Amino acid sequence: VTLTFTDEQEQLRSSVRRFLADKSSSEAVRSVMETEAGHDPAIRSQMAEQMGLNGLAVPEEYGGSGYGPVELGIVLEETGRALLPGPFFATVALAGQALNAAGGEAAARWLPSIAEGTLTATIALSEEQGFTLHDLATTAAADGALTGTKMFVIDGASADLLLVAARTPDGPGLFAVDGTAPGVTRTPLESLDPTRRLGRVDLADAPGVRVDRPRDGTVYLRRVLDLAVVALAAEQVGGAQACLDASVEYAKLRVQFGRPIGSFQAIKHKCADMLLEVESARSAAYHAQSCVADADPELPIAAALAAAYCSEAYVHAAKENLQIHGGIGYTWEHDAHLYLKRAKSSELLFGTPARHRGVLADLVGI
Amino acid sequence: MVAAETGAPAPTAVLAEDASDTAFRERLRTFLSEHHPGKPPKDPAQSLAHQRAWLATLFDAGFAGPSWPREYGGMELSFAQQLIYQEEYARARVPGPMGTGLGIAAPTIIKYGTPEQKQRFLRPMLRGDSVWAQGYSEPEAGSDLPALRTTARRESQEYVVNGQKVWNTHADHADILFTLVRTGSPESRQKGISYLLIDAHAPGVEVRPLRDLTGASHFCEIFFHDVRVPVGNRIGEENEGWPLVRTSLGHERAAGAMNQAALYRRVVSELIALAQQRGRAADPLVRDRLADFEVRVRIMAQTGQRVIADILARGEPGPASSTSRLFITAFEQDLHEFAVDMLGEYALLGRADPNAVERSRWTMGFLRTRASTIGAGTSEIQRNTIAEQVLGLPHDPGMPAR
Repeated sequence: VTLTFTDEQEQLRSSVRRFLADKSSSEAVRSVMETEAGHDPAIRSQMAEQMGLNGLAVPEEYGGSGYGPVELGIVLEETGRALLPGPFFATVALAGQALNAAGGEAAARWLPSIAEGTLTATIALSEEQGFTLHDLATTAAADGALTGTKMFVIDGASADLLLVAARTPDGPGLFAVDGTAPGVTRTPLESLDPTRRLGRVDLADAPGVRVDRPRDGTVYLRRVLDLAVVALAAEQVGGAQACLDASVEYAKLRVQFGRPIGSFQAIKHKCADMLLEVESARSAAYHAQSCVADADPELPIAAALAAAYCSEAYVHAAKENLQIHGGIGYTWEHDAHLYLKRAKSSELLFGTPARHRGVLADLVGI
Repeated sequence: MVAAETGAPAPTAVLAEDASDTAFRERLRTFLSEHHPGKPPKDPAQSLAHQRAWLATLFDAGFAGPSWPREYGGMELSFAQQLIYQEEYARARVPGPMGTGLGIAAPTIIKYGTPEQKQRFLRPMLRGDSVWAQGYSEPEAGSDLPALRTTARRESQEYVVNGQKVWNTHADHADILFTLVRTGSPESRQKGISYLLIDAHAPGVEVRPLRDLTGASHFCEIFFHDVRVPVGNRIGEENEGWPLVRTSLGHERAAGAMNQAALYRRVVSELIALAQQRGRAADPLVRDRLADFEVRVRIMAQTGQRVIADILARGEPGPASSTSRLFITAFEQDLHEFAVDMLGEYALLGRADPNAVERSRWTMGFLRTRASTIGAGTSEIQRNTIAEQVLGLPHDPGMPAR
């Protein structure tokens, strides 16, 4: 169980934080989010090549440095705090972990380029009906040809490699398809969260390769989802902490009625409650990461718990941050709305908190 | 899968237990099971005697005071072994300590008492020979404790104490009252407060049980009429008692938070069982709330573990320790109120009614936990403290200086 960090891990955290403060400041995020790509390719390559972050949690046999989910969590907490746009989350946290969990040929084929930073990737679970792991409408033929529509795919319009959940006669499975392959039509969606791009992927007999083992991939897909929401929980903790920090800083500076607003109990109580939720979210996220690291069979419970709690904690922190900032928090120029939009998109992308609680209820026998 | 059997990480799950820890655990477990005093008698006086006898047994065998120094009869355990102690103690379901002196007064005496005071007070407290109760709050000094008015007038080698204290837990069984009294001027606030130990049986001390909203009497009010107290019963210097109030030993509270998490783990499982038994668990709204309590009770334990891991790694708990009480008190109120709502009209029955569900424990819990956000510092005051001391927000200029 890893609930506290080693000096080496703390160094990783501070070097990522320094890097992002330097390269991906609020001004930088705001300027790239308006561009077509939505991110800065230079940051992407520096993170992969100079800092080795893409390969951090990739096993050495696939060209990574063989650290684990705890180190990845540290990086994600920082990228979440900085609202880093770009392919890191989908490529490394979603697709990278899915490939690693599959192992075998798929991992050998694609993980090295993910670790190197030369390949971007994502996973495509949701469909037109919304998030689902069951009732997939997208089908895979016996030769892997994929047909159907995937929606709300993070980086769906730009990722080089798409990992698509599709139905087979034996049950669901995950299929890799090249984003530029014939039969793949990709459309950017206009998304609420300007720092996280979503896309629609239409597949018409697109050539897919099975990632997980043949037959029923239900258990594997659940694991892919668990890994995704645990990674997202780390981002959510980082984002929620950023909201708390911004609120506290502003409450110390902003003077009304001749005194800093942070001296009023109404503001103090909000901040204390935010701290409570941020710290509780942190406990849930770290516990879930350590379940991944320790291959603990309780992971599905820990993941559902973290997804439900961290999602709501982040949204609440983002809303309170906006409220504490008052009118200025409602402006486009202030970052409060960027955190609110990121928090909301994170809360809804892999199933709502209520859905996660439903999963938890099933797992613990309620 | 049964909820009760999963998700209750023990506090010691973060430890790499070495051979001496394991041996200690074995020794303690054997002792507790071999000397278990059995169920307490129903009669209150007999129950008290039963509890006293147990504490004496524990002390005489060297199994009392896990965090206390050895020279005062304690065990002086490492933090790791303190956690093992708490875990085994809770597991054995033996009677707990008497009075509120152990957690609050004892650390103060250990840190600030004279050698004579330590000699005189600590061992009898730990052995259960003398029971201690707190006398801090007053009718006009609740959240604003520095406004307290009970006076201690110096007359040569004695203080003469006059005034009234309130919300004194189990003061009706107490032998010694540890109090805060005003030795400075009426306006001196925290600069004129002394820490005084008062013999509860001394002339002029009147203890009246106070009936609370549950109908029980856990609290008392205490009246002092010209009570004469030797100056030697003052801990620390005259007028310098205020900074002594928040003394604690090591990280006892972190271990205590784990015990509460373990307790509520059981309670949530019982609540789930109740919902299932009454055919309510399939209702999506009920199920969502139950899952939410499951989430929160697990986070309670996870935070407890994280605080402990930080103490073990760095010697200090992180900011999570500051909010754990707020987390728990809100949780226990929500949980009991949910249970009451789920039971509907059955929650309206008194405990003796034959139709009552589980002797109305959920309704009683709903009532009892109203105190959770009031006693030992209201939630509002706690939030102020967290905001100022953990987050560094500015002091309210409308409030008196700290």
